[in-house]
Amino acid sequence: MRFLNRNRMIIVIVSVIVLILLIGFSLSDRSHTTKAEQFTADTTATTQRVIDAPFNFIGNIFSGIFSGFGADKKINELEAKLDSLPQLKADNERLAEENKELKEALDVSSKLDYESINARVISRAPDQWLNSFVIDKGQKDGIEEGMAVMTPKGLIGIVKRVNGMSSYVEIIATNTAKENISVEIRDGKNKHYGTIEKYDEKTDTLLVNNIVNEGRINKNAKVYTSGLTGDFPEGIIIGEVVTSENDSYGLSQNAHVSLASDIDNIDTVFVLKRDPESLGD
Amino acid sequence: MRTIFLFLISFLLLYVDISFTNISPIDVAGLNVYFVPKLLFMYILLLSYYLGLKWSVTTALILGLMTDVYIGTIYGLHLFGFVLFVLFMNSAFRVFYRDYVTLFFVIIMNTFLFDTYIYLMYRVIGVIEMPVFDYFALRAVPSLLLNSILYIPLLIVVIILSKIRKSVFNNR
Repeated sequence: MRFLNRNRMIIVIVSVIVLILLIGFSLSDRSHTTKAEQFTADTTATTQRVIDAPFNFIGNIFSGIFSGFGADKKINELEAKLDSLPQLKADNERLAEENKELKEALDVSSKLDYESINARVISRAPDQWLNSFVIDKGQKDGIEEGMAVMTPKGLIGIVKRVNGMSSYVEIIATNTAKENISVEIRDGKNKHYGTIEKYDEKTDTLLVNNIVNEGRINKNAKVYTSGLTGDFPEGIIIGEVVTSENDSYGLSQNAHVSLASDIDNIDTVFVLKRDPESLGD
Repeated sequence: MRTIFLFLISFLLLYVDISFTNISPIDVAGLNVYFVPKLLFMYILLLSYYLGLKWSVTTALILGLMTDVYIGTIYGLHLFGFVLFVLFMNSAFRVFYRDYVTLFFVIIMNTFLFDTYIYLMYRVIGVIEMPVFDYFALRAVPSLLLNSILYIPLLIVVIILSKIRKSVFNNR
């Protein structure tokens, strides 16, 4: 009996050590994903897609039926917008061409340049603790760790792990996403720079700190990525300033920023691949 | 035959748990109320009673590992949590396995404790900052109610599973 108890004790101690090692391994700053992780995550993601397919199909039928009500009004609105589209398209092409020529003349690469890869959200973390999700694009589609992810409304997260056919994205509203994302706050003609420190769950805002104290930042000032850190392109909207205050020493300011993207309702996202030439700037 | 069904149901329950993230959290008077199903966890606990500890621990190891890798931030929490709670239930509550009502309370209480264990671990690591009162009011209690409802169909599934023959070649 004593022998059995001693054995049990050893198993418990070894298990606790392994658990601590695993947690340490998870929290370490790794630059790549192991093949075993990729295989397990891909298998789970693929099965998830297969199981989701019939549910999505039924859901689409119902949403199609319900969205049919009041469709006439929406069609008229969209048709009115459509009339102005050729002019907008022509303007856009002309400006893009002009921009390209000017850049070539100056021989510069822009931090604003990026390609986007469309992806669909397969699932969110089932324990609902962590603000993260899995997308249906991976290494094969050109996705790399550290890339920025946005919704049509603005920046939403960072690619943390890339598998063969899926990727794991951490939303910027999670405190594991310690990337020190550099941001630019545009308040009228003034520009302020700071870094995202953490997500404040009490106010549902991002806390941006280290903003040089050069005058009060007004409410509703727009917050964008600055393109100064990581693989993030410049000029991606993050949100709006809700409040700002001096830090405890009065040397710099802190700002609370509400996210432009809705973190509870994410369906389609864009992974942003920054122009490699601009990374060396 | 039983093994195939056992794992198929395990995977299906894992995906049902994941699919709940489409509807939870629910906005109630400006507050996010979390309904977190623990179907897979309750299933693993029920297996230890209806099919035995060996089946339960094996399922806990495989599905715990898959959950950890799929959630993807902190490894080991679900893997060890699942196994730990199966062993805990098997040694501490075996005397209570008398009737369905007692079993129901034991499973639901373990589900609540498991979620609290994950909460405490994330708090210690510094991943989350949810205050204790918010946790109990906005997450633990609503999830407890949801899991109490989901327990009944799950129990029926496990009882049916326990009656499936182990092998198609075994006629007894």
